[in-house]
Amino acid sequence: MKRLEILNFKSPNRAPLIVEGFLFGEESKGPSVAIVGAMSGDHINQLYVASRFVDFLRQKEEEGKITGKILVIPAVNTYALNMGQPFWPLDKTDINMMFPGYAQGETTQRIAAKLFESLQGYDFGIILEGRRDQGMCLPYVKLIKSGYEDLEAAKDLGMRFIHYREYSPIETVMLQYNWQLWGSKALSLVFGKNGAIEHRSSEEVHGALVRFMAKREILDVSVFEGFSSNVIGPDHITLLKASHAGIFDSLVSCGDTIEKGAILGRITDALSGKKLEKIIAPSGGVLTCQYSHPLIFQNSIAFRIASVN
Amino acid sequence: MGVIEEVFSIDLPVGEQFRIQRCRYIPKKGETLKRISIVSGIHGDELEGQYVCFLLGEWLRANPDKIKATIDIYPAINSLGLDSITRSVPFYEVDLNRVFPGSKNDFLPAQIADGVVSAMKGSEIAIDIHSSNIFLREIPQVRIAKSQEKTLVPLANKLNIDFVWVHDAVTVLESTFAHAMNTLGTKTLVVEMGVGMRLGKTYGHQLLDGLLNLMACEGFLSIEPLDVRYPIQSHVGEVAYLNASCPGLFVPSIEHCQMIEKGSVVGQIVDPLSGQVLDEVIAPIGGILFTLRAYPIVYEGSLVGRIFGENE
Ligand SMILES: [Zn+2]
Repeated sequence: MKRLEILNFKSPNRAPLIVEGFLFGEESKGPSVAIVGAMSGDHINQLYVASRFVDFLRQKEEEGKITGKILVIPAVNTYALNMGQPFWPLDKTDINMMFPGYAQGETTQRIAAKLFESLQGYDFGIILEGRRDQGMCLPYVKLIKSGYEDLEAAKDLGMRFIHYREYSPIETVMLQYNWQLWGSKALSLVFGKNGAIEHRSSEEVHGALVRFMAKREILDVSVFEGFSSNVIGPDHITLLKASHAGIFDSLVSCGDTIEKGAILGRITDALSGKKLEKIIAPSGGVLTCQYSHPLIFQNSIAFRIASVN
Repeated sequence: MGVIEEVFSIDLPVGEQFRIQRCRYIPKKGETLKRISIVSGIHGDELEGQYVCFLLGEWLRANPDKIKATIDIYPAINSLGLDSITRSVPFYEVDLNRVFPGSKNDFLPAQIADGVVSAMKGSEIAIDIHSSNIFLREIPQVRIAKSQEKTLVPLANKLNIDFVWVHDAVTVLESTFAHAMNTLGTKTLVVEMGVGMRLGKTYGHQLLDGLLNLMACEGFLSIEPLDVRYPIQSHVGEVAYLNASCPGLFVPSIEHCQMIEKGSVVGQIVDPLSGQVLDEVIAPIGGILFTLRAYPIVYEGSLVGRIFGENE
């Protein structure tokens, strides 16, 4: 294992921002993969999975099992992690909205540029992503159609769902899109609940990373087969919204199989305690995402159900 | 007198609604389909537009007989943010100006965006007033995507601003209010002026004159056009960006909105701990310093100024 300084960025008053990478199998001839962990300060689950994976790889290296080249960068925005904030603490910009970066630009563009430079030349790129809303979800692969994506590689993770869809304009400044355009087969693993560590999801993502590397001959280990992934698009997802604002109680867990007519959650008035609403499944399927904050806004998406059309 | 209407409301979890209000002024003889929307507060820390809205409302109340078409004033789009010094949409920490055109089937910020678009759809013109952010001070300017140059520059020239900046289209800007409205056929101008969290009275009055002139020229008001300044056009020169080369405290050496010569000192970056001057920020070209940093803490890369220099 080689510990790399990806960037060292001075601050006016606090200690420098140091982003570290852990490199394995530098000399090996096999395929290469880079993994990026927490880009936001609330992506603690992503940090947890990445750092645990570094420790796992260190052991595999001792056993001589590394046959490809692997770079893991567990955390990018350590300044935000250390302050319990999601974004860059001075100007509140999101590093994952600054790609491909610009070395002569604003601070977070420079950070993104340095990071992006260190991610070049890898065959595969895996981004451990948190959610961008107050939700939690069954871990899934997010793969956008840039024209350079690799759906077959995504299937080697053996995750239950691959959400495969067109990209939105804001995604053109995010890492996955740019990484794909610059020639790495990049994808995102989205999981967890921001600000928390979920052990079951972490296990699942860890398992998927190991499986991917075994199948792509980056690691010489034996693994169980995962799911034969369901490739779904926006058409397969039913959104269930809360018609009322108030206190939200969920009665189900992500990954549950839902039957039509099942009660998924309840909303009560936050002051009078009056029962305002039961959220009922209009069709059967698998619960993929749910709202995770106890207070819910009117018209917020409370649940997402994936169904076979 | 204008009529105050609520155009968007959504329940918040605990005994409150998120709301967007407008004040609508119509001609004495009744409502018309011809409509203009004046908008501010998409970013909750930008307050210059609120003052312009006040000044325009005050003028319209005093001159009701001059109103020829519907004039809508929306001073506070991100109302939750404005009342809490929060730039983005509180709770979600999402920049509202990156989720347009929005959707009814998405999270709260997208629903707000959708509500804004539905309220303003059908306006002939929209003026979206921003005040830079808390970091930078800007002279009154309009920014226009290159694809919209033909339609929007003539309109911007009527607004009594100092600078019209036509920039290359960037895909990410397709999620702004202005892009969404321009796509729907509403000619939408984005004004940037002043600095976040503060109010500049002079700029407010300058833009009021511009709005009155534009509305006179475009048939919203029956008054004579005003004698307004003609803005500098970005295509006649180039914009130079001044980024901090090192972290520290930025201390400007000159005032905002000055003509400066190539090689002159714009400011210093100093280190409060050691007492050293770390760097001098030098003007790479001569011209007008139309952006100057207002918030002194800088990292490497922080923008400290922008100069517009005319080509010889
Ligand atoms: Zn703004």
